[in-house]
Amino acid sequence: MANNYYDLDDILMEEEYVSVHFRFEAKGLGVLDPGSEHDDIEAGAVVDIPLWLAHDLCLRKFITIKLPYFYNERIRKEIQADASCVDLGRWCPYFYEMGLRLAPISPDQTLGSFLLYCLQRRYKEMLCKSLTVALTTAPKFLTLLTKEEIQLFEAARDSMKAYNKWWFQGARLERAPVLGRKRRLNALLSSFELT
Amino acid sequence: MAMFGKKGAELVREAKQTLATEDQFRPFNQDLFEQVVKETDEHYAHLQERMSQIKANESSEAVDPNFVGGCAQHRSVLRNKRCLLAYVNARMSKIKQLRWDLGAVLPDDITANLSSTERTFFQGYSEALSSYMADINLDLTVDATPPKDPYVQIRVIGNLGEVLLDDQETSLLPHSIHFMTRTEAEPLVMQGLLEIYQG
Repeated sequence: MANNYYDLDDILMEEEYVSVHFRFEAKGLGVLDPGSEHDDIEAGAVVDIPLWLAHDLCLRKFITIKLPYFYNERIRKEIQADASCVDLGRWCPYFYEMGLRLAPISPDQTLGSFLLYCLQRRYKEMLCKSLTVALTTAPKFLTLLTKEEIQLFEAARDSMKAYNKWWFQGARLERAPVLGRKRRLNALLSSFELT
Repeated sequence: MAMFGKKGAELVREAKQTLATEDQFRPFNQDLFEQVVKETDEHYAHLQERMSQIKANESSEAVDPNFVGGCAQHRSVLRNKRCLLAYVNARMSKIKQLRWDLGAVLPDDITANLSSTERTFFQGYSEALSSYMADINLDLTVDATPPKDPYVQIRVIGNLGEVLLDDQETSLLPHSIHFMTRTEAEPLVMQGLLEIYQG
């Protein structure tokens, strides 16, 4: 996905926190460290800061980034064992996007290929499910997916819905959904009063 | 106290909800919006404070702690700006859609949820679209889905009274069923006054 300035998901993804190691003293950033008692952050302190801030400071080489725990060795083993059962959505709703952002600035060279491997393993099962599950209810396994995977899932499901709609030829003209349900009732009632 | 983008993220979440809720138009969150603007001002004030101290001890060899802090404040200003713009932009796209769905006049309960600048934008957008459509002599808002038949059968839901259809006056009484051209029916169906009748 392109890095679009107005992309809401991109903004929210950058709000995820990463743990970083300050290489130099920083004035006036004490707010970021809940354990700190004064206004500044000492050199060598380890603090959790949002990714948008970490990304910039890391490019300036003021800090080094520690990868979040959900990219560590244990989790990678779990994904190798059975990728589609791992609950990525709970750890980080923006697992892939965040990984993509971290990959160039983190010392770990294997992160990028690991993300690709992970998506490849999970994608197939997700696609099968998205075309076969009931169209109206939210399936249980949706909670296991990350935001990006849910988007893929919904896209597949929407195309299935569109196919069904075309197949059964429902009404094509509908009122604008923004008007909601209640106005329709009002319209009905007022017409009763008239007659 | 400046919160380094927490409020901004809240605003973006709100924008996401605005896009996601289909059955109503959420009101402009003036309160949160102003809080983010205020926070941005605070970050700017902090940034200036750091900047003024950098000049004082320019000579030192190591990285100036004021510079590290200043960069973070500067980033926060930019971050908040991005959140604010994204919020406004998300609502703008939704407002544009309103013009296509509901026509040039909005119902009162939707107008009430627009901020005053958004109302001005809607007016302007509406006028631009109308004048363009008048220029090319074609109503672009109809036939969003390709029609199969130029005529449709409709049932009246709202109270319309006498309406000029096909150059002659027809009285559309509630619950009566009519046969009319699709082009004329479409805007009224979108506004919820008619529905397509399938016998």
